Amino acid sequence: MTDKTKIETTSGLPAHPQVESLCDQLTAGRIDRRSFLRSMTWLGVTAASASAFAGFIPAPARAETPVAGGKLRFGCAIQEITDPALTSWIEASNLYRNSLEYLTYVDADNIVHPYLAKSWAPSADLTVWDFELDERAKWSNGDAFTPEDVIANIQRWTAPESKSSNKTAFDAVKLVEKTGPHSVRFTLSRPVASLPEQLYSYTCAIVHRDFDTSGANWPANPIGTGPFKLVSFEVGRQATFAKRADYWGTPAHLDEIQYIDLGTDIATHLAALASNQVDLIYRATIAEYDLMKSLPNIQILTGSAAHTLVMRMQVDAKPFDDIRVRKAVQLAADNKQMLDVVYRGEGQIGGNYHVSPIQPDHFPLEPVARDVAKAKALLAEAGYPDGIDLELTLGNTQGRWEQDTAQVLQQNLAEAGIRLKLNVLPAAQYWPVWDKVPFGATYWAHRPLGSMTLDLAYRSGAAWNESHFADPAFDAALDSAMGTVDPEARKAAMEACQTILRDQAVMVQAYWPARFSAAGKNVRGFVLHPADYFRMDGVWLAKA
Amino acid sequence: MPLILFILRKAGQAVATMLAVSLLVFLALEVNVDDVAVKVLGQFSTAEQRAAWLEANGYNEPFVWRYLDWLASFVTGDWGMSTYYRAPIVELIPDRLAATAWLALGALALIVPFGLGLGILAGMRPGSLTDRAISVLSVVTTSIPDFASAVFLSIVFVFWLGLLPGASTMIGGFSLKELVLPVLVLALYSTGYLARITRASMAEVMATPYIRTARLKGASLPRIVFRHALRNALITPITVILLQVPWLLSGVIVVEVFYAYKGFGTLLYEAAINSDIYLIEACAMVSVLVVVTTQILSDLAYGLLNPRVNLLGAPKPAKGDAA
Repeated sequence: MTDKTKIETTSGLPAHPQVESLCDQLTAGRIDRRSFLRSMTWLGVTAASASAFAGFIPAPARAETPVAGGKLRFGCAIQEITDPALTSWIEASNLYRNSLEYLTYVDADNIVHPYLAKSWAPSADLTVWDFELDERAKWSNGDAFTPEDVIANIQRWTAPESKSSNKTAFDAVKLVEKTGPHSVRFTLSRPVASLPEQLYSYTCAIVHRDFDTSGANWPANPIGTGPFKLVSFEVGRQATFAKRADYWGTPAHLDEIQYIDLGTDIATHLAALASNQVDLIYRATIAEYDLMKSLPNIQILTGSAAHTLVMRMQVDAKPFDDIRVRKAVQLAADNKQMLDVVYRGEGQIGGNYHVSPIQPDHFPLEPVARDVAKAKALLAEAGYPDGIDLELTLGNTQGRWEQDTAQVLQQNLAEAGIRLKLNVLPAAQYWPVWDKVPFGATYWAHRPLGSMTLDLAYRSGAAWNESHFADPAFDAALDSAMGTVDPEARKAAMEACQTILRDQAVMVQAYWPARFSAAGKNVRGFVLHPADYFRMDGVWLAKA
Repeated sequence: MPLILFILRKAGQAVATMLAVSLLVFLALEVNVDDVAVKVLGQFSTAEQRAAWLEANGYNEPFVWRYLDWLASFVTGDWGMSTYYRAPIVELIPDRLAATAWLALGALALIVPFGLGLGILAGMRPGSLTDRAISVLSVVTTSIPDFASAVFLSIVFVFWLGLLPGASTMIGGFSLKELVLPVLVLALYSTGYLARITRASMAEVMATPYIRTARLKGASLPRIVFRHALRNALITPITVILLQVPWLLSGVIVVEVFYAYKGFGTLLYEAAINSDIYLIEACAMVSVLVVVTTQILSDLAYGLLNPRVNLLGAPKPAKGDAA
C-alpha cells in the first residue's frame, strides 16, 4: 500500500479534502491513473508526488543528451497577430507561445504543471483559488512579473466589452485580487474544478500589464516572459524567434526558431520537408499519409486528439427550428461511413454530442442507430413529405477532408429524401460567417475536457455558440459537471449534458480523426500535443 | 516624329484604359461601404465602430467624390494599408513584383530560345519527321495544365530523385535552386505554345513565292532561312512573346501558390481570399500597368519588324501592294 502522507502540494499547504478520496478510488481501482493524475494536479498536488503515489515508473533516462544550439525551421502558417486573447487560430498562438507564457502548463498527457504560477490551492468548495506566482519570472523589458499583470489580463478578458472567447471561459470569475507580493486570488461565482487547466487555453497567454495602453499589438511591441524573443514577423511569409540569454526559467536548447509559411497545400509542406527546407511541419492529414510513409528521411508523428468537424444546425433558424428536421438529418447520417470513406477508419466514431471517448469526462452513451425510414417519417410529419432542400456551408479550414465528409453526408441524406447542397467557401471566407450560417461545418480543436468544449460552444449565450442552442437544463448539468473533481462523478454528470445535446439533435458530429505530422529525423523532444500547443523550449536538433 | 506621336497616342490610350479599370475595380469593391468597413475592421467589430470608421474615413461622401479622392491618393503613391499583411501596400508590392520578375525572366530565358528554335526547326520543312515530332511534343506540353505538371515535376525531382527543393519560399535569400521547378513548369507550358506559333508562321513564309524563287535559284536552306525567311516569320512570335509577359504576371498564381513562392501571384491570391480590398485594388492597377506597357512594346516591335505597318494605324501605300 502506497503512503498517502507522501502527497505534496505545489503550495506546501495541506491538500484539498478531495485528495484523500481520489487516492482511495485509485487504490480501489475505480479510476485510472491518468484521470487520477489530472484531477490531483487541478487541486494543486505536484505531478511528481501524484505519479509516485500512483506507482508510475519514472521515465527511463534519456538515451541522448540534448544538444544546445542550432536553428529549427518550422513549416507553419504565419497568421496575423494583434491581441493574443482575440486569436481564433492555434497556429498564431504557437508563435507567441515562444515569447508569452501561461499561468499553467498542460502537457501532451493533459496533466497540469506549474508555469508562471508555481502553485495553486482551491478552497474546499472550489470557488476560491489561491495562485502563487513564480517570483523569478521577468518581462523582457526588465519589469518584474507581478500580480498586477495577472489581474490586468483576467480583467481585460472578462470585461463587459471583451470580444475574447475567454469571456465565456472565465465567466464564473467574479473577482481577482492581489493577496501578497506574488499571490493572487480568484473568487468564482460557481465551482470550477478545472480552472488551472483552462488557464492554458491558447487565448490565455499572459501579456504585459501595459498591453492595452501600449497599443494592444503584440508583434509591434513584443514584450514577453518566455524563453525566446521575436526577431522578425511578416504575415504570410515568416517569423523568427531567438533564444533569450536572460530567461528566468530553464533555458531553451535551440538558438533560433524560424517559422516559414508554406501556403495551404500540405503536399508542398511535405516536399519542403523531404528536401530538407524545413525540419518540422505543423500538420498533415490522411490524404498525405501514403506520401509520408514513402519518404525515407522523415519521422511520422501520430496521435489522437479530441478535434473534429461539427456539422451543426442553428436551432432558431428555419427549417432547423423544427426538431423533427434536425432529428431526420441526424438519423439519416452514417457516421461510420464518413469515418471509413474519408479517414480510412483512422480515428473514432462520434456520437453527435461533441465529447470524445479520449476525453476523461466522456460518458459512454449508447449510440443511436442510423434509421432512414424513421428520418423519412419525421420529415413527412414536419410537413415535408416530398423531402426537403438544405444547404450546408463549409470552408475546408483544415483541409479537403472536411468537404469529403460533407459529401458522404450529402449521399447519406439523399437516401432519406434530403437534398443537401454544399456551399464550399475558401477558408478565409468561412471564418467571417462560421457562426452565422444556419447549417455549417466547423472544425473544432481539441480541448482537454469535453466540458470545456461544451461550455464554449453550447452554453446559452456563449461567445462561440454557433448553433444558438440554449437550454437551462443543459446549462445546469454543465455547471454540475464543471464543479466536480471526482472523475467518476464528473463522468456521471456529463451523461446528462451529452444526452441532452444528442437528443436535441443539434449536430452531426461523425468522427474524431487521427492526427498526423512529420519531422526530420534529427528533431528530438517534439511531442505531438493533442491541442497543437507546441512549446519549443524542450526541442533540440541531434547532430546528423 | 511618327514614333513620338505613336507613343503619345498609345500612352493616352493606356491612361484611358487604366482609368476605366480603376473605376470598375473601385465600383466592384467599394460601392457597398458597409462591406468595406467589415473587411477593414474585421467581423468582430461592432456597428458603432463601423459607423465611426466610415465617418472618419470619408465614406459618407458621394461615390464620385470618394472615387476621385482614392484616385488622387493612388496617383500620389498613397496606396493604403493591407488589412491582411498589416503593412503599407506601397512597401509590399515592389518586392513581390521583383520576385515574380525573376520567375518571368527565368521562364522567358527558356521559352524564347527553345520556343523559337523548335518552331523554326519544325517550320523549315513542314511535314517532315522533325516537324511531326516537335508538333506532337508541343501539343502534349501545352495541353498539360500547370497544376498537373507542378505535381509531376515535384514527384520526379523532389520525392523520387531528391535533386531539387520542394518549396520555393526564398526565405534564406535568392536561391537559384528554388527557382528551377517553378520556372520549368511555366516554361513547359509556354515553350510548346510559342513553338507552334513560330512553326505556323515559319511554314507560311516558307510557302511564299519569294522563298520558292530563292529555292529555284539554288540557295541553300540555311541561307534561305536566315537571309530571307526569319524576319518575316518572327513577326507573330515576337508579338506573342511580349504578350506572354502579362500572362506570366497573372498566370503564375497557380505555380507560385503551389511552390509557396512569395511573388506577385501569391500576393494577389492571398489578397483575394482574404478580401484585402486595398491590396486587390493596388494589384489590379499594377497588372493593368504591366499589360498596357507590354502592349505598347509589342506594337512597337511589330512596327519595327514589319515596315509595311504604319505605326499610326493607316497602312502605308506601297507600290505594287495591290498585286
